[in-house]
Amino acid sequence: MAEVRLVDVQKYYGPFLAIPDQNLTVHDGEFLVLLGPSGCGKTTTMRMIAGLEEITKGDLLIGDERVNDKPPKDRDIAMVFQNYGLYPHMTVEQNMAYPLKLRGMDKAAQKARVQEIADKVELGALLKRRPSELSGGQRQRVALARAIVRTPSIFLMDEPLSNLDAKLRVTMRAELKHLHHELGITTVYVTHDQMEAMTLASRIAVMNEGRIVQLDTPQKIYSEPADLFVAGFIGSPSMNLIEGAVTNGVFEAPGVNLSVSVGDRDGVVLGIRPEDIELADGNGAISGPIYAMELTGDATLITIRHGTTIVCARGPATYNSQINATCHLKAREGAKLHIFDKTSGQRIEQ
Amino acid sequence: MSKTVLWWLERLLLLVVSTIVLFPIAWMFLTAFKTPIDAYSVSLVFTPTLQNFVTVFSDPWNLGSMVMNSVIVAGVTVLISVPCASLAAYAFSRFKMRGRKFLFFLVLSTQFIPAIVIVLPFFLMFRQLGLLDTRIALIIVNLAIVTPFVIWMIKGFIDAIPRDSEEAAMIDGASRLRVIKDIVMPMAAPGILTSSIFCFILTWNEFLFSLILTRRDAVTLPIGLVNFRTERGDLWELMSAAGVMITVPIFIMALLIQKHFTRGMTAGAVK
Repeated sequence: MAEVRLVDVQKYYGPFLAIPDQNLTVHDGEFLVLLGPSGCGKTTTMRMIAGLEEITKGDLLIGDERVNDKPPKDRDIAMVFQNYGLYPHMTVEQNMAYPLKLRGMDKAAQKARVQEIADKVELGALLKRRPSELSGGQRQRVALARAIVRTPSIFLMDEPLSNLDAKLRVTMRAELKHLHHELGITTVYVTHDQMEAMTLASRIAVMNEGRIVQLDTPQKIYSEPADLFVAGFIGSPSMNLIEGAVTNGVFEAPGVNLSVSVGDRDGVVLGIRPEDIELADGNGAISGPIYAMELTGDATLITIRHGTTIVCARGPATYNSQINATCHLKAREGAKLHIFDKTSGQRIEQ
Repeated sequence: MSKTVLWWLERLLLLVVSTIVLFPIAWMFLTAFKTPIDAYSVSLVFTPTLQNFVTVFSDPWNLGSMVMNSVIVAGVTVLISVPCASLAAYAFSRFKMRGRKFLFFLVLSTQFIPAIVIVLPFFLMFRQLGLLDTRIALIIVNLAIVTPFVIWMIKGFIDAIPRDSEEAAMIDGASRLRVIKDIVMPMAAPGILTSSIFCFILTWNEFLFSLILTRRDAVTLPIGLVNFRTERGDLWELMSAAGVMITVPIFIMALLIQKHFTRGMTAGAVK
């Protein structure tokens, strides 16, 4: 196990600056998730840690050692790739034993270790098969097993679940979480799926345009997003972001009047999550004609549109109304209202 | 036009084309088993004989030494060309280096030069080196001819190998050379085998350079055929027997790689 530190790390692709001055510490035994949209630099950051991409400037430390110039094989890391990265000409057993073979472990010990890990990830019966004879989920297990077979000091996982179907993804997610709990190995996990990030991470680093915009626990990122990007990225359905102004302690926008505890100012954005909005009996603080109603099973997502303002609320599954009928909503008791500066996008503390 | 008519037209066209292509080959095979008198007859009824095969291997034709020359020249060319081309193809496929595209174009551009243009410089060079009429000269020339083509073919196969597997091996603890040996080469094996056989066929059939650069000792099979044009006229039955000797190994190889060959060509073409 080890700590990973990126100190003022930059990555250029030709003249293009992909990662500007990255500073990040992944604590020993932590499960850190790099979360962000495609092209935000999360995979590049991980590949620099792995040694698969050169670092243009700055330092990468694993433990206390600077490893910028060390090849991947000498960094004591294991990685699970999005497309599994299995060796198709080898059997499952050979795939798993390959890292052990490269480390000169004798054959009997290799066999025993492979069997032990295969049993742990339920691959024991498939050891003689080749990857082409396995399902997607089984291949993912092989990739995982190959990574844990030699107990590395750091685990890197690059969107390992993205090729699996929704049901299998949930199962594998739980298994990953359990595995991390069991092994306690420092893990860096890349994903663009915020649900994966929220459920797996000890801490999440939300990235945008090569920068880490917020690094915190999942709870904190959900309840106190640092800026508009994080606010819009985390949560499903995403947070309502309504442009308006604060006058006499009331946030005002077309169809919206909500009490907030910030001073008067123009050019603000109010953030409120759909689950913090409920139906009002009479005239609500938020009102407008219904634009769409979507039944999700346990709830109905009600979207109202008033001029440029669009608000989504999570109503009861039994809710029934008509498109264009006026709907009155209010903030739920104890709802968290977030205020952001429209120009800088930064959170304004209340 | 109805589907049935189209179906028949298609078959008829295939039959005509196949006949045009296969007739000379079939005729060669038949003539190889005919006596000199029967060789000039168009009749399909004759008494087959193996005498022509015995004759071509005895004096003055001595096809045996030519077979040996062809096997050695083609074999050594493959043995040198394919490993070198595999490494070059890997470098072209995987390493980002300045002028990579230009270099690759340069390698391929050697194929645009008509052989007849460079045969004389080769002749003068080998005369200077005292290598005329040697297998070494033929191997050098054939390497120059086939290696660029083999690089191009194998690069197509290596391009198709996912990088994830290579990177996984590097993280698992393998050096670059180990990755090439353990991961890339086994995964590119069908392509490398196809390219090897293709390289062998090209060298085996090479005619122009062998004709100019050899006289007696290093003569290869295709050149041996010319010897059957004598003052007594063309000895068709012996020429056909020698032709069978040349084509049979190629037929067998073509059959062996038929499946991979199309794939290899496609991979090479699109990448």
